[in-house]
Amino acid sequence: MSVLKNILLVEDNPKDLELTLVALERSRLANEVVTARDGIEALDWLLRRGAHKNRPPVDPAVVLLDLKLPKMDGLEVLATIKSDPAVKHVPVVMLTASREESDLVRSYDLGVNAFVVKPVDFQEFFDAIRGLGMFWAILNEPSPGQLRTGPMKVTEA
Amino acid sequence: MTTDLQACDQEPIRIPGHIQPQGFLLSIDRKTTELLRISANVGQFTDVEPQALLGRTLESTGLLAPDMLQAILAREANPGTPRTHGMAEFKSGNFLVISHVSGRERVVEFEYVDPAFDGSLDLLYPDMRAAIETLQADRTPAALYQSAARIIRALTGYDRALVYAFDEQWNGMVVGEDRNERLPSYFDLRFPASDIPAQARELYRLNRLRLIANADYVPVPILEREGVDLAPLDLSYAVLRSVSPVHLEYMRNMGTPSSFSVSIVVGGQLWGLISTHHAQPRIVPQHVRAACDFLTQIMAMQIEGQIRSSNAAERVERQALQARLLAYMAREENFVQGLVKHPEDFLPLVDAQGAAVMLNGVCYTVGDTPDEEGVIGIVEWLAGEHGEKDVYSTDSLADAMPGGARFTHGGAATAGLLAVQISQIHRSYVLWFRQELVRTVRWGGDPRQAKQPGVGRLHPRLSFESWQETVRDRSAPWTAPQLDTAALLRNAIIGIVMRKAEELADITDELKRSNRELEAFSYSVSHDLRAPFRHIVGYAELLKDELQALGEASSGEALAAQATDGNGNGNGNGNGSNSDAAGASSRSLRYIDTIIESAHTAGKLVDGLLSFSQAGRVSLAREDVDVDRMVELCRHLLQPELRGRKVEFHIGALGHVSADPTMLRQVFQNLLSNAIKYTNGREVAKINVTATRSPAATVFMVQDNGVGFDMAYVGKLFGVFQRLHRMEDFEGTGIGLANVRRIAERHGGSAWAEGVVDEGAKFYFSIPNRETAENVGA
Repeated sequence: MSVLKNILLVEDNPKDLELTLVALERSRLANEVVTARDGIEALDWLLRRGAHKNRPPVDPAVVLLDLKLPKMDGLEVLATIKSDPAVKHVPVVMLTASREESDLVRSYDLGVNAFVVKPVDFQEFFDAIRGLGMFWAILNEPSPGQLRTGPMKVTEA
Repeated sequence: MTTDLQACDQEPIRIPGHIQPQGFLLSIDRKTTELLRISANVGQFTDVEPQALLGRTLESTGLLAPDMLQAILAREANPGTPRTHGMAEFKSGNFLVISHVSGRERVVEFEYVDPAFDGSLDLLYPDMRAAIETLQADRTPAALYQSAARIIRALTGYDRALVYAFDEQWNGMVVGEDRNERLPSYFDLRFPASDIPAQARELYRLNRLRLIANADYVPVPILEREGVDLAPLDLSYAVLRSVSPVHLEYMRNMGTPSSFSVSIVVGGQLWGLISTHHAQPRIVPQHVRAACDFLTQIMAMQIEGQIRSSNAAERVERQALQARLLAYMAREENFVQGLVKHPEDFLPLVDAQGAAVMLNGVCYTVGDTPDEEGVIGIVEWLAGEHGEKDVYSTDSLADAMPGGARFTHGGAATAGLLAVQISQIHRSYVLWFRQELVRTVRWGGDPRQAKQPGVGRLHPRLSFESWQETVRDRSAPWTAPQLDTAALLRNAIIGIVMRKAEELADITDELKRSNRELEAFSYSVSHDLRAPFRHIVGYAELLKDELQALGEASSGEALAAQATDGNGNGNGNGNGSNSDAAGASSRSLRYIDTIIESAHTAGKLVDGLLSFSQAGRVSLAREDVDVDRMVELCRHLLQPELRGRKVEFHIGALGHVSADPTMLRQVFQNLLSNAIKYTNGREVAKINVTATRSPAATVFMVQDNGVGFDMAYVGKLFGVFQRLHRMEDFEGTGIGLANVRRIAERHGGSAWAEGVVDEGAKFYFSIPNRETAENVGA
């Protein structure tokens, strides 16, 4: 179980955070979810800086990154990740409320791995999150991912 | 002095080295008063040999009385202007002494006074006063010229006096004449410019009086003091200056051995001459010359006044036209329209028969002009040859421009051009054209024979027989006020163009700003407005799940209770409470579903609004679109809406168009989705899609046999949030058709509809075949 990588969820809105966690919970992925509430916190955890200096050097299976974040927005976080040789291989999925074409184009320019517009419909949202989680978390596991039996483990970054 | 000259206009007319014989001349060093030069004829008048005088001081020659000597040597304010010093008496008679400064020398002239012409200026006073009154009374130029000729001839006693006016090319034209029978009339004749070369004209301007008493005179050489290196003596201001031998020959050929002229200088420019001739040698005494000069200058002022007042009148007349044109130009989007739509003012502004405006490579013409190709050719030539000129004019394009003779319009040749440059960089011009004015001009002799090459020198023409020429390829000349008016219009246009450019820049800035604001607004709508709806739906779903789980649990409990109760009592009770709970639970679930559905609808509205605003501001990415494939794809995407329906599609050949594929797909998606929606309830829904091509545009039509609509409301159909049906009957956001119209319009096309209630509807939209301008701000 310990070989399973984490999923890093970066989301500032508590309601979206809760709903996303519920969606992940229901997907029954065995991965531990680490949550970050702004861009800086996300990068600190990912790059093992500051409070996370002594974190074991394991990259997450996937980063689910909201576009609009305090302090440092999602596009900047994405740009930082994709320009850092140490972590640029980590897949990043952009989660956004926006249908703005410019965000999409920008994200792809910066090397995003997937782009998901959060649907209003919860079922669709759930399907999207589950699909993403399954795809990226399992695809990036050294051995095929396993499904969880107990409650999902969530830690705050 | 040699007569072996190359050409008259290269002659050293200011430094001839000779004088006329009716007097003698000497020059002194202005510092030492030593005689530097003396005319060879001094002994003929004074008994003193020239060689004996050279080198002596003027004082020691004894030629002049002490008081006159003092006057001559005195310092003066205007050393260049000749002064008369009174009479000197020698054995041969009385001489008028005149002196002026020439370089480092002072020239002293002694002009013989013929006792037969004795007189003085004060005696002429009554005649002059009468003459001035006459000149001032003349109201027309022609009358003024006639009076001047008569007055001058009377004063000089010559046989003929001509008022000779120069045109722009410096040809002379006789505009006034007074004569007796001894000399022929030259009135209205023209004389070619070469008759009076440029340097001669300049001399006429500087020294207004010139007398040649006898064209057969033998020029008297001026002797110089030996051993002194002297520059040639400039005799520009000398009374006795010897004139060009070519000119003397010209006079002899004309049969006038004696001539006297007074220059008419207007505004510092040589306007013309009053030229008097006599059939015999004859002198004009100094006091008469002075009187003539005085009266001629009065006439010059009179001419200047007349020119000024007629110009002023003309300008005032044109100002009214100009003011109207300005108003037209200011009213129009493009100033050109203000001009070309009003030929009734645009052409008379400069008395033209045609005009053209060349702006940013586009040519607009009005009236009689060369064809567009011709106008473009003229503009090219102007920009190349006269690019530095703001205003250019010619009355003969044939002369001015290579190939300029070929411009014709309806048989009449375009001869005159007046052009003002609006922009040098963009080669923008306003051009006016005048037609050829064929007229007959009488020359005083054939101008082509004005100078005939002889052996080693030029001879003036022998014949002064009047010679008629038909002038072609020439328009009426452009006048100074017309040129000024054109220049004023140019300034006005430039002002308008610049103001418009500034306004446009302001508007563009404003548009950019509001577009940025709109974008920011849309962005925030898309992010912030969608989120709460998403949360409502999300939490409501969670609540629903909880309730359902609870319901299942409670019904499980109820079952358990029932099982327990199965042995004994409380069945009815248990059942009653369970059905209550189930009713409340199902109500709650319905409420929650309504909340979810409402939030859904709100979310869709936000999405719809957003896509509508996007259709308006996202820039068009036109490409070749395979419409057949696109419609096929839309049908595929709409499959879910066809579930449980019987729909017959008839899709014609739709071909290709140049359009933004994302936007075009939205249009078809919307129209097909509508067609499916509004045929709900038909046993068999029929949906036709066709394309009709014309050279200008492709028109697509989507037709259905659905509920249709009342044509009375067709105007509301394409508005945002306009619905013609109740929400329960047909759901929708009311944005789809607004989007269809907007997208069609962004492509330069339009959208419209036809419908009959309960029979069906036809929706059309057009996509122009050629790219047309996007809407402003896109």
